[in-house]
Amino acid sequence: MQQNLKTLGLAALLALGTASPTLAGTAEQIAAATAEGAVSIYTATDIAQGQALIDAFKAKYPGITINYNDVGTNGAYNRVISEAAAGQVGGDIIWTSAMDLTVKLAADGYLATYASTEKPSLPAWADYKNMVYATSVEPIGILYNKNALKADQVPKTRADLIAFVANPAMAGKVASFDPEKSGVGFMIDVNDLQQTTTFWDLAKAFRAGGGKTYSASGAMKETVMSGENVLAFNIIGSYALAWAKDNDSLGVAFGTDYTAALSRVAAIIKGAPHPEAAKLFLDFMLSKEGQTALASVGLPSLRTDVDSGYNLTTIGAVVGGNLKPIALDDTLLEYMEPAKRVKFLKMWADSK
Amino acid sequence: MSAQETHSGAASGGRIAISSGRRSSPPRPMPRPGEALAFRRTVIGLLALAVLAPIGLILYQSFLDGPFFIAKSRPGFSAYLYVLTDPMFYEALTNTVIMAVGMVAIAVPLGAALAFLLTRTDVKFRGLLEVVVLVPMFISAIVLAFGYTVSIGPSGFVSMLARSVFGFVPWNLYTLGGIVLVTGLSHVPHVYLYVSAAMRNLPSDLEEAARSTGAPLWRVGLDVTAPMVLPALVFVAVLNLMIGFEMFGVPLVLGDPSGITVLTTYIYKLTTLFGVPTYQLMAVVVVLLVLLTLPLVWFQRRLLRNSRRYAALGGKGGRTTAMRLGTRGQVIALSAIGLWLFFSVALPIGGIVLRAFVDAWGQGVNPFAHLTLKHFANLLEVPRLYHGILNTVIIAVVGGAVAVGIYLLVGLAGHRSKDHASTLLDYIVLLPRAMPNLVTGLAFFWLFLFVPFLVPFRPTLVSLFTAYLIMGLAYGLRLLQGTLIQVSPELEEAARTTGATVTRAWRDVVIPIIRPGLVGAWALIMIVFLRDYATGVYLMSAGTEVIGSLIVSLLQSGAMDIIAALAFVSILLTGAGLGLALRLGAKLHD
Repeated sequence: MQQNLKTLGLAALLALGTASPTLAGTAEQIAAATAEGAVSIYTATDIAQGQALIDAFKAKYPGITINYNDVGTNGAYNRVISEAAAGQVGGDIIWTSAMDLTVKLAADGYLATYASTEKPSLPAWADYKNMVYATSVEPIGILYNKNALKADQVPKTRADLIAFVANPAMAGKVASFDPEKSGVGFMIDVNDLQQTTTFWDLAKAFRAGGGKTYSASGAMKETVMSGENVLAFNIIGSYALAWAKDNDSLGVAFGTDYTAALSRVAAIIKGAPHPEAAKLFLDFMLSKEGQTALASVGLPSLRTDVDSGYNLTTIGAVVGGNLKPIALDDTLLEYMEPAKRVKFLKMWADSK
Repeated sequence: MSAQETHSGAASGGRIAISSGRRSSPPRPMPRPGEALAFRRTVIGLLALAVLAPIGLILYQSFLDGPFFIAKSRPGFSAYLYVLTDPMFYEALTNTVIMAVGMVAIAVPLGAALAFLLTRTDVKFRGLLEVVVLVPMFISAIVLAFGYTVSIGPSGFVSMLARSVFGFVPWNLYTLGGIVLVTGLSHVPHVYLYVSAAMRNLPSDLEEAARSTGAPLWRVGLDVTAPMVLPALVFVAVLNLMIGFEMFGVPLVLGDPSGITVLTTYIYKLTTLFGVPTYQLMAVVVVLLVLLTLPLVWFQRRLLRNSRRYAALGGKGGRTTAMRLGTRGQVIALSAIGLWLFFSVALPIGGIVLRAFVDAWGQGVNPFAHLTLKHFANLLEVPRLYHGILNTVIIAVVGGAVAVGIYLLVGLAGHRSKDHASTLLDYIVLLPRAMPNLVTGLAFFWLFLFVPFLVPFRPTLVSLFTAYLIMGLAYGLRLLQGTLIQVSPELEEAARTTGATVTRAWRDVVIPIIRPGLVGAWALIMIVFLRDYATGVYLMSAGTEVIGSLIVSLLQSGAMDIIAALAFVSILLTGAGLGLALRLGAKLHD
């Protein structure tokens, strides 16, 4: 019954959204946001990638300054909870790839509810209770060194990958995230565990084969580029595609039978000092214009109507048709339980 | 800093003791001045507040079961229980001890040998070498580690060269041994500074006597010179042990691929292990680190007292003649120094420079076919990055000057005062050294968030500067104390007898005399602020980025191209700072 009511409410909202599509950026809203004059973003996205979005927003709304705080996933989380406790909220928007941490913030009451005017154009899995919104679809894939591997040697399926890392010839030459050190790496692993039946087979083969683990995708890229590792899996594909474009020795591959995708998620922080500007910015991020800006720097759009870079349809085709984005729902909270987390890490540590 | 510490302790103390024989009466301590007492107490009180607030906060946090600012956190020992029963903690502790002891075992003998060569022998190019050997000290640890991965990492350019010769790479940088070697060799200058200050004033008669009996040079060094500076050697070993406990940058970068953790990187890991940051566990590790360090501080203070007595035996007056190395000796000495410099300066800096100008490297890649300037174009295009460079310069140049002013006030507050307050001062000053800079920054982030009158300063460079001030306190105050102690007491006494107040004596007599010392200290503090990377990680916000912390934040997403470019800029700035320091007559030695 409650579920029904919810759906009804959602339908009503949707109807409202579609009924007045000009709501986004009405003159009043823009005036209110411009009066606030600024929007503060706590993010883990490198400025090199955020700049296009910032520039596009500034071009459209010249009266609003953007304070871009690249503080990492943990830094962003730390700021939100510390500032809320101090009653000194300084951030308006949190924008990070740590989907689980952000959903936890929502569940713990740190985020504001706002039904974005762009919601009708987004996939159903792309928001959490009108608080957390996906802003990209970034497939998880494989980065390999073209000088060391030919394209046909690169694993195409999960089964291929397991066989590849188990191959003694590849011992000590395969890289992946360290789930102990990387929150995003942990999330990718746990999603695989929830979505596939072969996670522990892969983990065991990888660990037994002397696989090397890293805390950041950039560090992995550096080792694959230099040939120290021949291949890294669970790499964030949007980065990998951009790297491969710039560098002849790097190649990218995706699992044709199963490719997960994570999203950079955005939300408005409760008590935000510039609430109207925050709404305007969130709507802009999800709009065709904002998504076009993000896609132009390699963050594939989750809309289907974006022409620059990749959009949801084209990136799905790139990975071979079996793209399974990580949905924004309560499943993400499961492994935020310390006990479950420790148990998983213990199994990981023991899976040699 | 190092040199000042020993020098002021050993040499000046000795000088006074010796010269007392020539003068009719021994120098008395200054009469206790009433009016300066208020000043001394205020300054020491304020300093205690600035140092103890972050440490107190961390201590309090360690006895809670959640973040201190969350209402449902309860007091208890659960965090201690977790850490003390966590096998990973003991693994990290063992690695830390191995790393620190190993670092000392490499740095102390080499640093002492270097000091011996440069102060006791007629080794060639001494003037140049005295500056160049200090360079490793001024390179940011994170830049250093990153440079090594590009030069001698598994696919580094030197490694590739070695592979083409031997068919395989005969070393592995990503091991505990690799970390020990890198940190050991890069801390040689720290040892050299202290020990050379102690050696410089030794009379030569004993060494000459030994030489005349036909003892080879290394024997003289080992059996005659070394025992005379033994207290300085032990002192510097203890100091480096303390430094070793809180090294972060090198193990962070080099320990990552093979999963080697030390206590500081264990703290870092605790931020992600549970999904949400577990500040109470981080706090516990910091408290344990401080507890580990306190006995060392105590031991160091005792040593310092003894070393004064020791050095007085040597004293001045004796003439110093350089021992002759001979041609073969020169060749051996210069090649050894050259080899060490190649490893600790040329390799890492070469790595950074190469990486900053290419977009591909490694096996089967000719880096010269991939030369590019686009990483630097990035720095100019992205406001956040050039703000970072600008802020770093502001913090270093302006912040450095203000910091020297404040250290001077603190130095004066403890100057020629032998009461409990100055003992307190010694401990206060050394406490922040035991706390990893990353955590110092986090504690100040909270202070600027939760202490009402500080709130407006949080998004400004003031918050960053305050944390830097405390971070550089131990080093800066030693510099200033070393300078202050060189003003002989009779000058101040003369001013006082003509009726000047203490403050006036300081303002009109002491400060003008030490002005060149202040300028030198400013330049050195500037370099300390330039090379730091951990303090700003939590503190910086939009508009207050600094290079070092940008590098750490970029490491998370791994934009190596930009990291290399920033590291290159950092090296250029440090070089400029060093050049300026020398130009301004900073006495890098004593």
